Amino acid sequence: MDNIMECRNLVKYYPGCLALNSVSLAVPKGQIVGLLGPNGSGKTTLIKLMNGLLTPTSGEILINGMKPGVETKRIVSYLPERTYLNDWMDVKTMTDFFGDFYKDFRKDKAYEMLQRLGINPKDRLKTMSKGTKEKVQLILVMSREAELYVLDEPIGGVDPATRDYILNTIISNYSENATVIISTHLISDVEKILDGVIFINKGSIVLTSTVDDIRENEGKSVDALFREVFKC
Amino acid sequence: MLGKLLKYEIKSTARVFLPIYGLIIALALLNKFFIANNTYVYSNSTNKAMQIAATVSMMTYVAFIVALFVVTLVVLIRRFYRNLLGDEGYLSFTLPVSIHSHIDSKLIVTFMWEALSLIVAGFSIFIMTINGNTMQSFSKFCMGISEVYEKYGPLAHQLTAEAIIFVILSMLACILQIYASIVIGNLSGKHKMLASFGVFIGFGIVQQIILSNVYGGRFGKNIMDGESFAYFMRTELISMIIFSLVFAAVFYFITDWMLRKKLNIE
Repeated sequence: MDNIMECRNLVKYYPGCLALNSVSLAVPKGQIVGLLGPNGSGKTTLIKLMNGLLTPTSGEILINGMKPGVETKRIVSYLPERTYLNDWMDVKTMTDFFGDFYKDFRKDKAYEMLQRLGINPKDRLKTMSKGTKEKVQLILVMSREAELYVLDEPIGGVDPATRDYILNTIISNYSENATVIISTHLISDVEKILDGVIFINKGSIVLTSTVDDIRENEGKSVDALFREVFKC
Repeated sequence: MLGKLLKYEIKSTARVFLPIYGLIIALALLNKFFIANNTYVYSNSTNKAMQIAATVSMMTYVAFIVALFVVTLVVLIRRFYRNLLGDEGYLSFTLPVSIHSHIDSKLIVTFMWEALSLIVAGFSIFIMTINGNTMQSFSKFCMGISEVYEKYGPLAHQLTAEAIIFVILSMLACILQIYASIVIGNLSGKHKMLASFGVFIGFGIVQQIILSNVYGGRFGKNIMDGESFAYFMRTELISMIIFSLVFAAVFYFITDWMLRKKLNIE
């Protein structure tokens, strides 16, 4: 199995809206891939399908050769675009929670990052600002030694300084065989860490390429190409 | 994994229930103190302020008992909805845990709190009413029961066992009915709560139709004395147990299937 994620003719239909229109796609292991597209293009739907939060209308999606289920959830570390933390917990309980359920969770790593960002493990999640919650969530997700990280808008809600820290965290925390899929529209920020890109629009894949190919063949940055492809 | 889910399920709900339990027991003790001092009996010798305090304490107690059962219901609904279908569902459903375990853990813990709430309410009444007289009539009551057991031995034991199983099963069926209503109601785009409530009523009507077709007129047909009524109940209870088991299984299946196939977290 060389592909960590594969879809074949994947269709997701919501009442009155075709969110994904026969998407076929393969993401090889060991890359950082940007899933890029304007708002409402189907990024989050695709990501939810990878995590088994939605079931496909038709077609197939495979994670490491398996349909999303208990087995794939063990190896996928997912950062949703909203905060999913249990309000009643403090940060310490939350790390215990992750440690209890995910065998690949490294508590020491989590505490190190929390300290670095000045977050007190005793703080209750209820009292935190939205940005801090997002940081905690990202720390939890990146403290796992997963095979696939799926990050939905990981830098959308934080300041530029933290943005750099987060991107560094992502690069420095993923091992050689791990794959990272990042969905975002802040392309210029993530461009420097990407190996490959997937452009998605209105539920269809517009382009898949490596970043090097774009630079060589098109002679422009991913950001510039994105602006050209998705020109309004 | 079920064990771990149970652990966090209990943790998250205990912080609601335990303080209420504590307050109810404390209020029962306070009421007991007022009752023992005859504060509730009107006479010139009793202190006005004490009387007011006693009344307030008793009213607060009653309010808390009512609140306890409302809270039990609210926590049951809110915890299921928020933790599985709300934002927290993003985490719950990406844990390497089967859908079964999610339902089981919530079902078990809710049942546990319902049973504990009943026990705490009963115990608080026991605290308030216990004195020489009530102890006497209570022991008389117990003796009466043991007499019945002696006389009817196996029949009485069987009836008790059946009644307990029936109560437990219908409590579980009722919790699962609420879960199934929530997951179906969640399909509607707007007014999810209202839709869930409608589904719940609908389930209730279907159950009533089935049960009244089966049991309709059966109880009223012949007037019986206590003993033959007991024999009659022994077989009837078994069929009632089977019905609650079937309803519980159907609601469980609906909840599980919907969460597996139709999951749609916003």
